[in-house]
Parts: sequence; C-alpha cells; structure tokens
Amino acid sequence: MSYLELAGLQKRYGGSVAVDDVSLSVAKGESVALLGPSGCGKTTTLRMLAGLIAPDRGTIRVDGAEITRLPAHKRNMGYVFQSYALFPHLSVARNVAFGLEERGIAKTEIARQVEEGLALVRLDGLGGRRPRELSGGQQQRVALARALVIHPSVLLLDESLSNLDAKLRDTMRHEIRSIQRSLGITTLFVTHDQVEALTMCDRIAVMNRGRIAQIGTAEDIYERPTTRFVAEFVGRANALPATRNSDGKVLLWGAAQPVAAPAQGEFDLFVRPQRMRIVPASEPAGGETVRVTGRVLRSVFVGDHVEVLVEGAGGQLAVEMPSGTPAPAEGAEVAVIWQARDSLPFAREAA
Amino acid sequence: MNGAGPVLSGLAALVYALILAPIVVVVMLAFSADSFILFPPSGYSLRWFQALAAHAPLLSALGLSMQTACVVTLLSLAIGVPAALALAKGEFPGKDALTGFFLAPLLLPTLITGLALLLFFTPLRLTATLPGLVLGHMTVTVPFVIRMMTTALSNLPHDIEAAAATLGATPWRVVRRVTLPLATPGLIACACLSFLLSFDETVISLFISGPRAATLPVEMVRYVEGRTDPLIAALSVVLIVATLIVVVAVERLVGVARAVGK
Amino acid sequence: MTGSRRLPLLLLPAGLFVLAIYAWPTLLLLRNAFNEVGPTGAMVEAWSLKTATDTFADGFTLELTLNSLQLSLSATAIALALSYPLSLFLFRTDSRFRGLLAVIAILPMLISGVVRVFGWLAILGDRGLVNTMLQSLGLISAPIKLVFNWTGVTIGLAESIMPYMVLALLAGFGQLDRTLEEASRSLGASPVRTFWRVTLPLSLPAIVLAAGLGFVLSMSAYITPKLLGGGRVFVLATEIFEQATTNTNWPVAAVLAIYTLGLLLFLLVLSNLLARSLRR
Repeated sequence: MSYLELAGLQKRYGGSVAVDDVSLSVAKGESVALLGPSGCGKTTTLRMLAGLIAPDRGTIRVDGAEITRLPAHKRNMGYVFQSYALFPHLSVARNVAFGLEERGIAKTEIARQVEEGLALVRLDGLGGRRPRELSGGQQQRVALARALVIHPSVLLLDESLSNLDAKLRDTMRHEIRSIQRSLGITTLFVTHDQVEALTMCDRIAVMNRGRIAQIGTAEDIYERPTTRFVAEFVGRANALPATRNSDGKVLLWGAAQPVAAPAQGEFDLFVRPQRMRIVPASEPAGGETVRVTGRVLRSVFVGDHVEVLVEGAGGQLAVEMPSGTPAPAEGAEVAVIWQARDSLPFAREAA
Repeated sequence: MNGAGPVLSGLAALVYALILAPIVVVVMLAFSADSFILFPPSGYSLRWFQALAAHAPLLSALGLSMQTACVVTLLSLAIGVPAALALAKGEFPGKDALTGFFLAPLLLPTLITGLALLLFFTPLRLTATLPGLVLGHMTVTVPFVIRMMTTALSNLPHDIEAAAATLGATPWRVVRRVTLPLATPGLIACACLSFLLSFDETVISLFISGPRAATLPVEMVRYVEGRTDPLIAALSVVLIVATLIVVVAVERLVGVARAVGK
Repeated sequence: MTGSRRLPLLLLPAGLFVLAIYAWPTLLLLRNAFNEVGPTGAMVEAWSLKTATDTFADGFTLELTLNSLQLSLSATAIALALSYPLSLFLFRTDSRFRGLLAVIAILPMLISGVVRVFGWLAILGDRGLVNTMLQSLGLISAPIKLVFNWTGVTIGLAESIMPYMVLALLAGFGQLDRTLEEASRSLGASPVRTFWRVTLPLSLPAIVLAAGLGFVLSMSAYITPKLLGGGRVFVLATEIFEQATTNTNWPVAAVLAIYTLGLLLFLLVLSNLLARSLRR
C-alpha cells in the first residue's frame, strides 16, 4: 500500500520540459532518493511535492488524499533546503519553533517540542544563538530539526548535504539515516551524489531529462541497470563497442564472445572495471568467460585499487585491480576476462 | 597591479576638492561676521545663526517642509511598499509593463512634472496647499520607493520565504513574519531617502507653492534671489548636518550608492 | 507561489496614484499646448496649432534651444572630464574607506541644490574665494565676473550632474575586467598605452551613457541657471518656468515643455543606441 503517490507529474518552463511524466509510489516509512545530474528535474519534482511549484499536469496523493493543488502552507511537509534557509532574524530556538507557532500550539508545549527537536539533532543548549553563529553542519541540523518538529507527513531533503565538507557529510549521512529510521518517517531525498543515494535510501529513482530512468534498490540500480543512462551514471563502466553478426555471433575486439545480444548490428557492452580480471595472454578462456587481449598502456595506483588501462583491437578499457596484487608491466601483452553475466548490452546512442 | 595608482589617486583628490569646495565654503561662511558674502570672511561670529533663529518666513517654511516631508514619506511607503511587494513577489501577466509604468515618472524631469501639476492643481485650488505639495512630491517619492523596495525585496533569498511556507505560514504570514522583518533595514533607508527627496524637492515646489505656502527650498531660492548675505549659509549648515546624519544612517543600513543608484 | 493570486491587488493604490497625479496631469499638459492665448493674455480653449507655430516662428525659441544645447554640452564635457577619473579611482581603489569615498562622491546629489548654488556664489562671486585669491596674488586688479553669467552656470551645472554621471560610470565599469588590463601590461604595454588601448575602449559605452544622462539632466535643470545666472542666462528651462508662473501663459509653457521633452527623448535614444553599438 503506497503512502505517497506521484502520478504523471509534469512541469514546463516556456518551451523546455523540466519534469516530464514522473510517477512514483513510496511506502510509509520508506526512504527514496531522487538521483540524477543537475537539470534532470529532481529538485523541481521535490518542489512540486512541497507545493512551492505548481505542476502543469499530474497528481500528488498523500495517504490517499489528493494534495496537488493544496498551497504549501497546508501540506505539512518538512522541507530541508540546500541553503538551509534558516531565518536570519530569529534565534535557533525560534527557527525550530516557527512551524509550531504557525499551528497555534500552546507556548509551553512549543518550548518542550523545540527542546526535544534540538536534542534529537544534538544541538541542546544552542537555542539562544543566531543561525549565523553556527557552523555549516550545525545550521544543517537546525534546518532538519525545524522540519522534523512539525511531524511532517513526508520529509523532503534537497541536496541537503552538498554544502558540507566531505567528512561532515559522511557523519550527517549516518545521522540523518538513523533519525529517519527511528522516527519511521517517509523521506524523499534529492541528490546528485550516488554514494549519498546508495547509503541513505531504501530505494533509488534515477532521473534523467525530467523522467525517472529506473527505480529500484541500490543493488538493482548498480547491478542491473535497465537503461544505458543508468549504467553510465551510477558507478563506472567500460562501454565496449560490439557487433552481432547475421549468424548470431557476438564479436568483441575481433573475437567471438559467449554473450547474448538483443538485436543484430552494432551495440555497446557495459562492463564494470572491478568485475574484470587481468590474466596472462597465454591463459585460455573458460566456457562462460568473455576474453579479450591487448597491451597494457599504463597502471595507476589510486589508493584502494590499481587502475590498469589496456589497449586492444577495439579500443581501450579500464580494469580495477585490488591494490596489493602485482600490476602487470606497461607494454605487457595480457588478456582481460570477465563473467559473461557481468556484461550488459545497450544500444549505441544516436550521436 | 593593485589599487588605483598615484596618478589616478591624485586626479581623484583634485576632483574631491572640487566637490567639497562649495560645502566647505558654505560652512565657513555660516560663521562669518560680515554683512555680505565675503570670502574668506573678515571675522567669525554666530550672528547669522541668531538671525536665522529670528527669521520668521524661513522658520515657518522649515515647519511646512518638515510637515510635508513626514506626510509624503508615510504615504509613499503606504502605497509604494505594497506595490513593490506585488512587483517583487507576484507572478502575473504584464508585470514588466506595469513595472515600467510605475517607474516612468522617474524618467521625466521635475520641470515637466511641476508644470503639469501646476496646470492640474490650479483649477482644483490645490496650489499652495499642504495636500497639493504632498501630492506633488509624491510623484517623485512613490516611484522611488517602488524602485528601491522592489529591488530590496527581490534580492531577499527566495528559499527563506519558501521555508516559512512549508512550515505552515500563509502567504500573508510569510510577508509579516519573514519578508518584512528581513527587509526592515532597506525599509528604514527608503523612508530616510524619501524624506530627504521631499525635503529637498525644489522645482515642483516652486511651480505649485504660492506666496502663502512656501517650502524651505522655495523660501531659500527667493531669499538668494533677493539678497546675498550669509544667512542662507547658516541655514545650509543646519541642513547639511541633518542630511549627513540621514546619509550616515542610510549608509550603515544599506549603502547609499546602492540605494540611489539604478 | 500558489495562494498569492490576490497579490496584484496591492498595486491598486499606487496605480491609481500614478494615473491620477501623474498620467492625467501629463495629458493635461499635452492638451494645453493646443490652446490659444487671446489678445488680452487670457487663455482661450481651442484645438489649434497656433500657439505652437507662433512659438516656433519666434526667433527667441531657437536662441533658447541653442543656449540650452551649448550650456548642456559644456557642462557635460566638464563633468565627464572630472567624473571619469573619479569613477575609475573608485572602481579600482582597494582603500578601506572606499564606501565613504563613494558616498562623498555622490554627496552633492543628496544636499539641497540651493545650498550648493549658494556655495558657488561664495566661491565665484565678486568678493568670493577665487577673486580675493587672485587679487591678493596681484594677478588681477578688478574682480572678474564668474557668476550671474554663463561661466557660473556652467560650473554649477557641471558639479550638480557629476554624482549622477559617477553612478552611471560605476555601473558601466562592471564589465571592465582588471585581468584584461593585467594581460595588456604583461604583453608589454605601458600603463598609459594600456589605458588607451584597453581601459578607454572598454569603458566607452559607459561614457556615452553617462554623457547622455548628464546632458539630459543639464537640459532640464532650472535652479542652477536661474540662481547662478542671476536673470541674465536664458535657457529653455528658465523660459518654461517664466511663461508658466510670471506670465501665466500656459499654452506657450506647454508647447515649450513638450518641445524640450522631445529633444530630451531624442538625445536619450541617441546615446542609448550609440552605447549599444559600441558594446558590440
């Protein structure tokens, strides 16, 4: 039973389409990431949910009730802005109290809830400060507390961690995730950072050009991308040009390979660099193994792995080897092998 | 290559001397002991300040100018700020055309506006009256308030107002609890400058104030036309000091160059 | 934002004000230009071009026009020569008093015009600063006439339009990138050559716009020509005021006002077109 339901949402600005037919169901308590490059329509979608932008078409339902045309102040959605959007003229406590005050709650009750809210984000005792006296991470937590104390039906986070430095971002990821889980609050999280999406959410909706390209668990998205865009955007992948002959054989780098291809003609085979292995050129291929040969162009040590660039008949490919394993010498003739099921065929993109 | 360089700085210092010359001269003249304009004065005294304190026409003109400027400021803010709010926050067809319509009076010289108002007010018997002066000055201050406040309101961070809305504040509550408090420095600066604009307005006043109701600048023009003695210098010092206080206040709040510039 | 559909209603009071106290009187002004003046000097309601043709047939109108144009041209030239270095200085300086210096530069704009005119009277008058100084140096025996003539008006006018031109120049300097000047220097151009080959060409559009603004302001200035001219300087602005108040000849004042306005619009459009073509 879905709690939040977007159906056929669309928004145009002049001639360009910002959001084009977005449909999405989110269960109660679930956390879903909207992941995509900038300009893909993810923030517009979030703003339409909050009532900050009116959709041209489509419906939004929360808990069965349609709220598509409801103004922002009647929606009861907690929105954490990328800029935090704290009220600079109000103290931290008054910032957190703002939504409760607008709901006409008694003063003593507001004070109690504000204290609770600040404790939840570990800012106890800072209620008297002004927002500008806080660090970026603290401001971010005030924004979170302010959105949480109103007991929102849905929590909306808009690139909320992108203004923090890398270390703090990591801490906040875990903090937000654990708050979200413990409160069981339905959350929609907009981000362009795949690590954020992969670690913080139950499901990920990858967006591209105003549409949802694929939706699924982190594993689905990473292991089984259904479109070329998702395969390219999430994680790294080698796109290897391949051809399928009239007799059904797939040719890759001049050799026939045991992989299935959807249709005849030219296509690209997507393979994750860490699924590939480098073996001596003399080693033969097994049954379900794809094997190409080439020469090592160079190896680069990148900390947790070594990246090896191999050039062969069909171009170049990158292999990630765990660091610690001996890297092949530059110029060495090698074979690159991987399991046939690790290669995903996608149609060549029209240039 | 940093800063302005010695040549440019030297030139600028010269120009500054020229800009400040009339003001410095006026201040020195105000303390003159002579009965006519002689510079440098042959002696110094406070006699012209005493003469000023006893000069009934200038004092009553000062009163009228203060009164006019106060009413003008209040009314201009009362009708200008809501309009600025609509132009800055609203999304409706014809907004750009409307903005142009409201700012058009700033383009016409006050010489033309003054003449038009004279023709309009005479049959209505509004010349040389407080309401006439107020309405006349408002042709300058209302567009000014709209321009300045539209800019000030548009420059407020959008997300902060959106945040208030998501927290349950109705559009009017957002204006009251977020927009206006954030715009307060700009609002005060705008009020100060409107007051100055009205207080110093000369050409429109000259057209529409008769002998019965003359504002201070009008009375000063008449005085300077008739006689040349340091009395006006003494009055000028009072005005300069008052103006400087306002200018410093505005500079502290928003920055003068930003407030008067386009 | 939704829920703010009633927002345009806030425009109503200001809209009514501008219509009633600005647009309507301006239309009245237009209407008056078609009225006639009877032999007794009384105004006669009419729809004729008689007043206009009479006014333009009068050689004095041409004289006034030439006076106005000449005065505005010299005042603008002086003001530009002074405000350009000042603006460039303000644009470049990294002094921590930059804000204060900018305020002083536009201070005259905020101080009553009458006060400033009075200052010039004290500087340029027969017994003013300049004449007493020249006399005590023995350079002149009798005071030279610097006010109540074209000289005084030109100086006073130049000073009064300067702050506006400084603001216009500063706004226009926005596109003046310091790195371009640095590039020119690094390529071997001296500071003077850099100014001629980079700075000046890049600021030309700003100069044209500022000059246009200064010219238009000079054309419509009344107080300075009136007070520093001492009744001996006749320009379109003083004539419009005289006709409207002393002579209560509204039709002629209206014709002259519309004529002046036409000139101003023409000049403004011209300077804007010029600035735009320079910017390309």
